[in-house]
Amino acid sequence: MSATMTDAPPTAPTATDPSAPRLASPRRDLSWTAAPLVGLLGLAGFWVFPDDLGLMTRIAAAALYVLSLDLVLGYCGIATLGQAAMFGTGAYAAGIAAVHLVNDPLILLAIGGVAGGAIALATGALILHARGLTLLMLTIAVTQIVQEVANKARDWTGGSDGLSGIDPAPVFGLFRFDMVGRTSYLFALAVLVVGMLVARRIVRSPFGLACRGVKEDPVRVAALGGSPRAYLVTMYAVAGMFAGVAGALTAVSSGIVGLDSVSFSWSAEALVMLVLGGTGRLYGAVIGTVAFMAAHHILAATDPFHWMAFIGLFLMGVVLFLPGGIAAGLERLRDRLTGTRNGSAPGGRA
Amino acid sequence: MTTTLRKALLGAVFATALGAGAADAATIKVGVIAPFSGPFAMFGQTFKEGIAVYQAVHGKTVGADTVEFVFKDLDQANPAQSKALAQELIVKEKVSFLAGFAFTPDAMAVAPLIDEANIPAVIFNAATSAITEKSPRFVRSSFTLWQNTVPLANHVAKLGVKKAITAVSDYGPGIDGEAAFKATFEKAGGAVVDTIRMPLKSTDFAPFMQRIKDSGAEAVYAFLPAGPTTLAFAKAFADNGLKEKGIQFFGPGDITQEPDLPALGDAVLGMTTSFHYSQAHESAANKSFLAKYKELFGSSDNATFTSVGAYDGVHLIYTMLAKTGGKSDGLKAVEAVKGLSWESPRGPVTIDPDSRHIRQTIYLRTVERVNGKLQNTEKDAFPAQPDFGYKLGK
Amino acid sequence: METLFGIAVDGVAYGMILFIISVGLSVTLGLMRVVNLAHGAFAMVGGYVASYAAQSFGLPYAGALVVAVLLTVLATLPLESLLYRRIYGHANELSQVLLTIGLTFVIVASVNYLFGPSLKRIPLPELLQGTVALGPKSIPTHRAFVIVAGAVTLLGLWWLLERTDFGIRLRAAVDDPAMAAALGIRTERLYMATFALGTGLAALGGVLGAELLPLEPYYAIRYIVLFLAVVAVGGAGSVFGSAAAALALGITDTAGKYLIPNFGEFFFYAALILILFRWPQGFFKGKTA
Repeated sequence: MSATMTDAPPTAPTATDPSAPRLASPRRDLSWTAAPLVGLLGLAGFWVFPDDLGLMTRIAAAALYVLSLDLVLGYCGIATLGQAAMFGTGAYAAGIAAVHLVNDPLILLAIGGVAGGAIALATGALILHARGLTLLMLTIAVTQIVQEVANKARDWTGGSDGLSGIDPAPVFGLFRFDMVGRTSYLFALAVLVVGMLVARRIVRSPFGLACRGVKEDPVRVAALGGSPRAYLVTMYAVAGMFAGVAGALTAVSSGIVGLDSVSFSWSAEALVMLVLGGTGRLYGAVIGTVAFMAAHHILAATDPFHWMAFIGLFLMGVVLFLPGGIAAGLERLRDRLTGTRNGSAPGGRA
Repeated sequence: MTTTLRKALLGAVFATALGAGAADAATIKVGVIAPFSGPFAMFGQTFKEGIAVYQAVHGKTVGADTVEFVFKDLDQANPAQSKALAQELIVKEKVSFLAGFAFTPDAMAVAPLIDEANIPAVIFNAATSAITEKSPRFVRSSFTLWQNTVPLANHVAKLGVKKAITAVSDYGPGIDGEAAFKATFEKAGGAVVDTIRMPLKSTDFAPFMQRIKDSGAEAVYAFLPAGPTTLAFAKAFADNGLKEKGIQFFGPGDITQEPDLPALGDAVLGMTTSFHYSQAHESAANKSFLAKYKELFGSSDNATFTSVGAYDGVHLIYTMLAKTGGKSDGLKAVEAVKGLSWESPRGPVTIDPDSRHIRQTIYLRTVERVNGKLQNTEKDAFPAQPDFGYKLGK
Repeated sequence: METLFGIAVDGVAYGMILFIISVGLSVTLGLMRVVNLAHGAFAMVGGYVASYAAQSFGLPYAGALVVAVLLTVLATLPLESLLYRRIYGHANELSQVLLTIGLTFVIVASVNYLFGPSLKRIPLPELLQGTVALGPKSIPTHRAFVIVAGAVTLLGLWWLLERTDFGIRLRAAVDDPAMAAALGIRTERLYMATFALGTGLAALGGVLGAELLPLEPYYAIRYIVLFLAVVAVGGAGSVFGSAAAALALGITDTAGKYLIPNFGEFFFYAALILILFRWPQGFFKGKTA
């Protein structure tokens, strides 16, 4: 009776792993197109849905947040339900700085990133020795403690009333944050695209490859003289910076930070969106976020009272009919269309 | 229950159909942001019922304009989402009013938006005093913790209680309640021996009860938001022998709101609360309100303070429309209801011209069983109570 | 001294309720390796069935309890063959999370539609009302009953998993499914039975715990962190571990609330982190009972 969930390192839902097989495959690697494509589609959205910029801003910021979770889950195999701790810390740090110190949006993003990275580094070093359910619980506990701190420090954070009065200066001193949300949206979209490009560089760097190595086989990395835990903690901190920037972006674009930004449910939502889109691809995070939040929005608008049932069915449908998430489904479709056939075709289960 | 919902949905469909039909007369849209799903769905449901009752009594038109409500679900306190929804309502739906708001941060989040768009926002519930200070376009039809607590604290002091303890949920309104009770009770010569702040997520209240018991207080002032935790709290109070020890219970009426009474059962029998609305309020206005409620939804058992908050909120919106002829100037519309007085199902009310908060009678009530049903029977009344917490700072 | 005793009694009573609801999750997670986040939803369904049976058909408490457990098991069994069977195994953990969250949403929305958002109760019989004295401390009779029920559940599960044929087969199937199948153990049926055991325990906990964790549609999501904490601290799959964890967390929570009420939440989660440092695999890792 030794086998429990805690034994094996958590793995992605399918063998559609982007790492080694993809690089070795004869197919042309098109993953560099993801960030420009998101930028282009985002710009198209700006013209097509000019009345929904508020929602689309939230989606862009959330996508960056989910992307940060992909860095730890998809590339390091760390299953966490505590990503909101970094997101919220970044949001509060940026918010407090905006109220008391500076109001340049770019500096606020930097502050959020540093704060998110710092809390991730501190807590990651503390808890990343654990695995599986234990790690999940530790990340949840960290988030709850951060939320309690935010709740108790009312003088700084506004407690449960929320931290309001964030009034960022125009971007580059030129573009004012308007009510319709044009500036907010374009700003958020730009940050997301830059975030995707940076994330891609990171996961393809020697450091990123080492992290994947840790995910696949920590023993081998250790044998080669690397410290698996050091890699994990570093990536956790890097992802924390991304989450912190996403939090700061939300604070800047909405002008308010609430306790919900450090909540368990926000952590869980990130996980849901990432798994929905597909892990270990970066763009899967964006697809999942867009799919989940758009579905949520449309369903909640059509039926504000019972949308939960439909979104539940949607999630179940994806698990049953699109194993590996939406991105894996799209890849299978592309492979079928282009007639690519190779041994490591994504979607097949190992 | 299901028929109720179906009727409500049908009503909404008809409302939209009517709105579409009367194309030549203007349609004035009101965006309602509230929890319609999730843990706080009771707020949204009672808001919606209150709105439906008002429209059933007063019609769906003001002058030549049809009033249409657009509902947006915000399942829990989430200011960023609240702002995005408000943005969408203003930009896309072109609403002339915002309304609803169960929680303080959600209301605060829209303050810059309503100022920029110059539209009024009528708050049906969110009860922290500070909200109406954030924008001159906020009007509130609910209550604040200060408003309900100050008369209660004076009453407790008058009963001869010397030592009291407070136990409140650890969030904005709870802290408001604690501050209001402490300030008023100590001014009246009493002493607050301990202040307990209970986490919102608490499920087990036995240890808090033990602490209250050990504190030597003669009375406890407790505030928890309406919902599941009140049940566990009331049960713990009844089960841990506090009554037997002679510790009296006082608190704002959220804890004994009408929809929860059947579940709370005998645990709350005899509890004294102060509040602005009781279903058992004796007045013609309340009788006809409840009759209409029953006619529309089959039962008026769920009619509670949030239904009345919405009902009176719609009255404010209708009055603003009637007085300004639907001209879209938020400040003028708010100006039009300053000092407005009317007879609400809760009793006589006035919009305070300064705080834009509703000035109302606060009742002292006791939970009693009448004809086999639990109710909040009004025992005493403190007329024309303002929001004592307005511009008091934190 | 009296204070310590009071904390201990209240803590044990709270812990036992946590145990009854969480042990089913420990069984499915440890023995079937399914991260069943719908566990809270199953507990809620049990509670609602009992409430409905008692209120609308006037069933006595015991009858409502039995009906609730049976109906919940019957209603959720098809889910095992339709949904859960497709996602058994380690490689599917994330799919399990997504699927069971989706299922939870559907159940929450359905309960909200059918019963509305207000609180529901399960009326207690005369026998369980009032209080009983335990030395200087009196506790509600219902809680005393739950402590006894928890102890019975604990012993019953231990006996079932350690002393019966079913338990032996189940452990064999978990250790090595292929070998078990080769030996003629019908793992599919075994899994179905274990799933039924898990949901039955969930329903039992939902009914017995309704006084403390009141029934409302969001129940399914509200308490899942608490249940996961018990399983993580106890060690997934371990019955005695769950009991020890539930008691430890119950007493910790009670002590924190009593001694430093304004920082109770800190205390609880800090203690949780410390416990998981000392026992990263849970108290009773790798032992079924």
